[in-house]
Amino acid sequence: MTDQGGGGGQNNMQTMTPEQREQAFAMANQEMEYRVDLFNKLVHSCYEKCIDKRFKDGDLNVGETACVDRCSSKYWQSVGIVGQLLGANQQQQQQP
Amino acid sequence: MDPQLLNSLPEEDKTKMVAMIETMQTRDSLRMYNNLVEKCFSECVNSFRRKSLEKDEERCVSKCCEKFLKHSARVSVRFAELNAQTMEQPPPAA
Repeated sequence: MTDQGGGGGQNNMQTMTPEQREQAFAMANQEMEYRVDLFNKLVHSCYEKCIDKRFKDGDLNVGETACVDRCSSKYWQSVGIVGQLLGANQQQQQQP
Repeated sequence: MDPQLLNSLPEEDKTKMVAMIETMQTRDSLRMYNNLVEKCFSECVNSFRRKSLEKDEERCVSKCCEKFLKHSARVSVRFAELNAQTMEQPPPAA
């Protein structure tokens, strides 16, 4: 699958047919939904893993902030790994 | 959504995209509201001797909310950073 860097088809909205524009909007919508969901799951996961539930204080302590930063980074890496593996898997399945 | 990309769209498309983003944001705020109530309620409220919240339950719910919102804010900063980092990296060779 070739990757047309930079401008590609996305910025030529005026030259697309109505169907193509609708499709582009649908894809953008899906992408946004995906990102929102990703963010929400990231917040939830790192909350469960890092935050002390005793609620002594309204602020995050130093340990919690460090944990949250590292948790976010690791989660992001996991997203990358899973994405790669799913992509490779899909390619394999498409080959005859 | 990349602001540059958004601004480069023709006017009616930009309006449509902005409307989509706003709808999504509203929906997400409402969802977060319900989520947060459920989370803090389940953590903090465990006895039902009276109809109204005890003083310490009230305090617990407030602190729980504060903490979650601060946590969420911190994660959103990291999320933006990680996103930007990923965009900067050159795409893998085809």
